[in-house]
Amino acid sequence: MLRFLVRRVLAAVVILVLISAVTYVLFFALPIDPAQLSCGKSCTPQNIALIHRNLGLDKPVPVQWWDYVSGVFTGRHLPLGNCPAPCLGLSFTNDTPIWSTLMDRFPTTLSLGVGGAAIFLTVGVGLGLLSAWRQGRLTDRIASAVSLLGQSVQIYFIGPLAIFLFADRLGWLDAGHDPDWSSDPVGSLSGVILPCLVMSVIFWSNYSRQTRSLMIEQLSEEHVRTARAKGMGSAYVFFRYALRGAMGPIITIFGIDLGSILGGTVITESTFGLHGLGQLAVSAVLGTDLPMEMGVMLFGATAIVAFNILIDACYAFIDPRIRL
Amino acid sequence: MRLRNARYAAVLAAGALSLTACSAGGGGGPAADSGAKAAADTITVGTAADSVGPATPVPGAKKGGTVYDLEQEGINHLDPAQAYTQETMIVSQLFARTLTGYRIDPKTGATKLVGDLATDTGEPSDGDRTWTFHLKSGLKWQDGTAITSDQVKYGFERLYASFETEGPSYVQTWLSGTDFRKAYQGPYGGKSLPDSSIATPDSKTVVFHFLAPHSDAPYAMALPDAGPVLKSKDTRTGYDNAPFSDGPYKIQHYDSGKELVLNRNPYWDAKSDPIRQAYPDTWDLQLDISQLNLTQRLMAESGQDKDALALVAPADPSQTEVIATDPAKYKSRLVSQYQPYVEVFNLNTSRIKDVKVRQAIAYAMPIKQVQTALGGSPQGDLGTSLIGPTVAGHQASDPFGKLATPQGDPAKAKQLLAAAGVKHLTLTFAYRNEDRWQTVARTLQNAFSKAGIDLRLKAVDATSWYSQISKVDNPYDIYVTSWSADWPSASTVIPPTMDGRLLADGDPDYSHLDDSHVNSEIDRINKITDLKQQAAQWQALATDIIKNDTPVVPYLYDKYYNVYGDGLGGVTYNTPLGTINPGSVYVK
Repeated sequence: MLRFLVRRVLAAVVILVLISAVTYVLFFALPIDPAQLSCGKSCTPQNIALIHRNLGLDKPVPVQWWDYVSGVFTGRHLPLGNCPAPCLGLSFTNDTPIWSTLMDRFPTTLSLGVGGAAIFLTVGVGLGLLSAWRQGRLTDRIASAVSLLGQSVQIYFIGPLAIFLFADRLGWLDAGHDPDWSSDPVGSLSGVILPCLVMSVIFWSNYSRQTRSLMIEQLSEEHVRTARAKGMGSAYVFFRYALRGAMGPIITIFGIDLGSILGGTVITESTFGLHGLGQLAVSAVLGTDLPMEMGVMLFGATAIVAFNILIDACYAFIDPRIRL
Repeated sequence: MRLRNARYAAVLAAGALSLTACSAGGGGGPAADSGAKAAADTITVGTAADSVGPATPVPGAKKGGTVYDLEQEGINHLDPAQAYTQETMIVSQLFARTLTGYRIDPKTGATKLVGDLATDTGEPSDGDRTWTFHLKSGLKWQDGTAITSDQVKYGFERLYASFETEGPSYVQTWLSGTDFRKAYQGPYGGKSLPDSSIATPDSKTVVFHFLAPHSDAPYAMALPDAGPVLKSKDTRTGYDNAPFSDGPYKIQHYDSGKELVLNRNPYWDAKSDPIRQAYPDTWDLQLDISQLNLTQRLMAESGQDKDALALVAPADPSQTEVIATDPAKYKSRLVSQYQPYVEVFNLNTSRIKDVKVRQAIAYAMPIKQVQTALGGSPQGDLGTSLIGPTVAGHQASDPFGKLATPQGDPAKAKQLLAAAGVKHLTLTFAYRNEDRWQTVARTLQNAFSKAGIDLRLKAVDATSWYSQISKVDNPYDIYVTSWSADWPSASTVIPPTMDGRLLADGDPDYSHLDDSHVNSEIDRINKITDLKQQAAQWQALATDIIKNDTPVVPYLYDKYYNVYGDGLGGVTYNTPLGTINPGSVYVK
């Protein structure tokens, strides 16, 4: 097991280094000069050169990249200020350390991700189980229709509708605000409920359909039939035997979906005016803020890779064949 | 130009209906160019008496409460020396005072340039090369320390530091030349600017000695960087996150790109301030909110959004029609005013060398359809002068009759092309790769085909737009840019955009015009010390440029158009900046 984990962690480090290099290359492949965008009206060649030096853009790209990567572990002394380790640079647009900004925005994205995932797993898997349990009956059809509805809409469509209905008209839910769990846990919860609900909608249909088909498949397996033949109750067989068999693939799908969840938070944060990593990434791209782009990209990639290792470890724990 | 907004974030301004006397539009068709004149006419230079505080009170206003400001952009800089976007410039007024500023009458909207920290707008001498400002008595920092002239001088010395790269550079250039950092590197090496540049003969007097006459120095002293800095509180780059206040509010909490909370500075004295009433106890600025989201919040005004406004962000274009067609719901809390931005089609004179061809393009240009494609009248009024309605000297000027035939005049265009001996003209139109500009591109393509011009469309990545079109050897014939006056004088419009001697990559002479007559006229007009006469001369030159050189086709005067929460009163407009004026806002 240890060897398996070490192998996965080493592979993850290689992936992250490659991601940082590719992001750097892509950024400099674009015909954009961030210095020009920060130059103000008096954009003289002298001023451009000064900004290049301040931003560290006066060095060759490979040197910049190496300074960036090594700065993550050692910290950096930059013309516009010190950047202690883990240094992901200073923002091109406001000179603030990237790491502190990421730490500030991460709780919002984590709240959305965890909250949304909890809802879509509960609702999606629940609907799938219900459909499988009542296969071919009215309940199955209703559950399928609800899933289809979730598959047919997008966050940017249902988000404003949900705000209008539940926040503005009915006043049942908060229209969404950034959580601050340490000082106001109740307010934080009310601030993320509606965004989490909206984000979950686009995911639950997939889990509902997958769970339904996996459960139907499992229920037709020979070991399930044997269990039934031995006189075990339907509910016991359904949950103890069939569900256990279906959970493995569902966990795998969840691991694959982590990237999509991060993508979902981008749109959800924009729709609800929340300040998370997704919205930060959008601002960074629009503002050609390379350090911020890199920071969000690496932070997101690290989180996804780490969660995937965790899921692989869980899976390897459940199924020893995976470790081979 | 305030750069962030110039990258078209805020050029997506909007408008219709009105708040104060200088409003225009009505949610329907475009207002005539002549109707725009009032905005510039309301901006005048005040006297020493006008510079005495307190600011003109708003009838029925009361103190207290929190105003929420919802903004599309983050406030990237709090150091006033780095403020050069609409957001940073207007927000800095809450905590940083300058030598001069704009006093806005809450009833009429009339705007006067007056002394803010200074007792008046300055005394010129030596043919406007030397300007003397006297500080008012009793001015204090947020810790009670008195404000003195050497702190003002130190504030200007900081502008030379290598990290102060984003703010305006008028005063530094006037004092030390274009390459001003070569002459002086800022105060951190222990050196001070010589008295021959800035002198402080006593604790209340500051004397600027410019290299050349600058009649509009009082306007430059209203920019956010024209204020004092307390040396003991100067944390260099750290000042950008925690500036020391001498205004009515001080920084309570700042989360970059997310939230800025300001509360009262107890040492600010309303009697010394002719510009700010500072009615609310707190300003809570919520940043980086999508334009659609903030517009919907202001429209719905639920909860604390009842006390919310957007100082800078205009309404999302998708919502302007909803606002305009429901006056019963929104009219009483709607602001529609001109912004200082003028939208133009640049004609690349390096590639389209024949002026007749450029004039043919001007005739063919369907500005009405373009306005419609951009969102109609709420986005801006049709305008055909280089000098917009918020700038002194603005006159209706329309050498190609665009307002009479805003849909384009293909027959006249064909006639000019024939006269130029041009057949089968093919041009490249570059546009930002966004929905509305794709629509504009197709609109132009259709209209130009009627004039016999084959328009090839080239989509350009929106984030690299200005980087690409500001290259001198860019491969495009026509493209769109906008320009904003830094103060209500065309000296901040014509020279930077039309002086060919400054041409280089990144230079805002986007059409690459280099006409010796224009260049010499710029030098001549810059020397005129009578501002009224100078304004008239700028307008005459602008008309002459459009008529005879045609490097651009102006088509729209941008507007600020948005609603605010019904819980607020005293919502007036700052015409020179093109934003809501926070100085008069109160919570009902």
